Amino acid sequence: MTMSTVTAGYDRVVRTLCQGCHCDCGVLAYVKNEKVVKIEGDPNHPMNEGSLCPKGLSATQFLYHPDRILHPLKRAGERGEGKWQRVSWDEALDYTAGRFNEIREKYGPQAISWSWGDAAHQSCLWSKQAWLLGMGSPTHWHSDAHYCYHPLLIANRTTFGNYSTSEEGLDYRNSKSIFLWGGNPVMSHPTRARDVMTGLKRGAKLIVIDPRFTELAAKAHLYLPIRPGTDDALAMGMINIIICEGIYDRDFVENWCIGFEPLRERAREYPVDRVADITGLAAQDIVKAARISATVTPCVHHGRMGVQQNRNCVQTNRAISILLAICGSLDVPGGHVSKSNKPRGFKGVFHVVDSRDELRLPAEIEDTRIGAQEYPLFSGAESLAVSCAHPPSVVHTILTGDPYPVKANWFLNDMAVCLEGQRETYESLLALEFTVGSDFFMTPTMEICDIILPPTMWLEKDGISEVFYNIGEKDLIAARQKVVEPLGETMDDAMMDLEIIRRMGMEVPHGWQTPQDFFDYQLAGMKITFEEFKQIGYIEGEVIYKRYETEGFDTPSGKVELWASTLEKHGYDPLPYYVENAVTPVATPELTGDYPLNLISGSRHIAYFHSNNRQIPWLRELEPMPYLDIHPETAEALGLEEGDWAWIETPVTDDRVKMPVRLTRMVGRDVVHAPSHWWFPETEGPEHGCFQSSINLVLTNDGPYGPISGASTLRGVLCRVYKVEEG
Amino acid sequence: MRKVAFLNDIDLCIGCFACETACKQEHNLPVGTKWMHVVRVGPVEIDGRLVMDFVPMHCRHCENPPCMQACPVDAISKRADGIVLYDEKICIGCKNCIEACPFGAAQYNPDVQRAQACNLCYERVDQGLLPACVQNCPTQALIFGAPEDYTKQRREKVAHTFLHRRYPEAPGLL
Repeated sequence: MTMSTVTAGYDRVVRTLCQGCHCDCGVLAYVKNEKVVKIEGDPNHPMNEGSLCPKGLSATQFLYHPDRILHPLKRAGERGEGKWQRVSWDEALDYTAGRFNEIREKYGPQAISWSWGDAAHQSCLWSKQAWLLGMGSPTHWHSDAHYCYHPLLIANRTTFGNYSTSEEGLDYRNSKSIFLWGGNPVMSHPTRARDVMTGLKRGAKLIVIDPRFTELAAKAHLYLPIRPGTDDALAMGMINIIICEGIYDRDFVENWCIGFEPLRERAREYPVDRVADITGLAAQDIVKAARISATVTPCVHHGRMGVQQNRNCVQTNRAISILLAICGSLDVPGGHVSKSNKPRGFKGVFHVVDSRDELRLPAEIEDTRIGAQEYPLFSGAESLAVSCAHPPSVVHTILTGDPYPVKANWFLNDMAVCLEGQRETYESLLALEFTVGSDFFMTPTMEICDIILPPTMWLEKDGISEVFYNIGEKDLIAARQKVVEPLGETMDDAMMDLEIIRRMGMEVPHGWQTPQDFFDYQLAGMKITFEEFKQIGYIEGEVIYKRYETEGFDTPSGKVELWASTLEKHGYDPLPYYVENAVTPVATPELTGDYPLNLISGSRHIAYFHSNNRQIPWLRELEPMPYLDIHPETAEALGLEEGDWAWIETPVTDDRVKMPVRLTRMVGRDVVHAPSHWWFPETEGPEHGCFQSSINLVLTNDGPYGPISGASTLRGVLCRVYKVEEG
Repeated sequence: MRKVAFLNDIDLCIGCFACETACKQEHNLPVGTKWMHVVRVGPVEIDGRLVMDFVPMHCRHCENPPCMQACPVDAISKRADGIVLYDEKICIGCKNCIEACPFGAAQYNPDVQRAQACNLCYERVDQGLLPACVQNCPTQALIFGAPEDYTKQRREKVAHTFLHRRYPEAPGLL
């Protein structure tokens, strides 16, 4: 839609949606001479209300970056040699479809897979799923699925039974106490940070549980510098205190929860002194946190990557979900609105890809997916987590052919720096027979592709955003619309998929010809077309609280399952518990002599999303290098000064990585923090420095994995740090 | 003419860099030149407790600008509404203003080889819009308006903290 009031100096202003991260903020794009010259937050968008983060504000530098890949490219030399031949779309698509068909005939459909790991490609989940369904291949993997969104889904769905998770449905704006567990939304979810600050302005208490003294820790009423990887113990300890002191919501627990007695018994194993020992926190602070959660209500508990990237993450999330329930904060204003309140009749993309009457694969095929036997609730036919393959196992499978060959992969983002066990991951990429890439720049992964099909970025395409649009008091859908014609010959991801499906000789579901046909399909139940929706911009659903009173919870018992029957059915512990990570001062004290520090990694920076944006000048300027955060006293003892380069080694891989040192009290004396996903577009290909500073080189993909989602541990691994001697 | 002021509430600043990037975009600034810069102070340990602030450091549009006095060619002027402007056409790039500014707000732009500073997005302001940084700030930590508006707002905020002290259950100030 073109705004009626055109600001002086511009030809038109177009309302659309950013896709720099999962927030999908509303923006106004200012166009002059068919060029986007400025992006600003849309004051009318219900999520960001006019504000915008650096990623959105730098989008013109992304769109018009001189290094963007603008034409289909076919490898002309050896893989990784950097020799490319520009080809037409017809040739590129026919070649790609032909190679896929060859591999399908030779090895079977499961030998063909796709992978992603950044927000910019979320809009083709449905079309990639249609492609998999057409072939009958269950193989697709996301670089961080096993320790990101998916464990949250499993935990929340086994506890209170639906999609909304700690990443969604939390009504920070109206909450009375806000708990951030291992999450720093200032850097990872800017709109959520904004909502937290709105909550604070309205008088909420803020409790931050994090080994790092983050931006929001600086605003907190209570800061708990927890020992990395022990959130499960803290959550159990808080449950114990809340039950012992009788300050839980008795009415809700009696009427709407099952398994309270077994939970009480389990929680008794976590007396406050033991929890203080495990977590390194002061007992009185743990008690204080528990009392705030139970008495300053409604509360919200936001559990993010610091919680997820540990092998016990599903159980930790379970314990946090239970806190929400027993503190009476489910489905109330200011709490966690666990049910979706999207506009009636709208078909969400996760519904489409995850329902068997839509695009979900048949159960017997899903049960052959890599990881399905080991992690059925994550990868199998009964998955509660938008079923996908277990990433480290896919890497192993590519290299071993066990249980079946995987020979081709369509990469939507960089995979070289985005997965633990980087050496082996990279080796697996090279071992593939056929590699297709659809990314914006020549990343280390694009460099080793056989063919590159360049996608449009968000300013050049249409779409519907909805997935992370539930903030409790609001739940909406919004329209993304093309602002300018695609640069060069870039093509919408989803359009490519439809083309490939057709050229492989398969049927497109419902005869969808274009992505817009799919959007019309999503909106049909609302009796509007996508064209009409673009004019409207966004539509909010009616938020109904306490829906469980009429509908029950979507669990087998219809109640909140403190004692989770679904987990029991699959042979897991139905009650949450604490387990120590594998390589820590507690688990492996014998290693602390050689490896005295605790490494945490993977915290986000607002300039970046996973491996993206290192080539965008205004963003790179904000965080130019992968700084290793280290306490000044620890650095001094190691002979390190600000700006020195330091090596980091762990006992779990044979590699080492180097990073420039940043002295800061954000971390305690025994913790160092390393950023993740680093490569250097400015350095030579094909590797672009991906073996220099990527922390995934010193983190293992060999387990031990968490039993439910197969999570690896990226937080709380023993390490040593020493100066890089010059020369 | 009403004077305008450009102030901030560091209680609300979360160090997200939105203002810095909005400014870069609005004025097409190269890497290295920052009309707006949020300085992270800390964390430092005080009585066993960590504290950290984010302080937006931008041109304060002084009533009696030291940069203006230091400029040998009168390239710097002050509008009736208080906005301090650097004129690139007159500037000779001597950097006297950079030396004179007590806030480090005057910047050198190597692309145009001239001194520059925040001009409070006067072109936007003249159209009735907020400066780009203020518009894109997610927490309203940046405040643009008349100085008396600011003092009124600050008084109300502090008064609310008194209320909170007396009645901890009272809602905060929106």
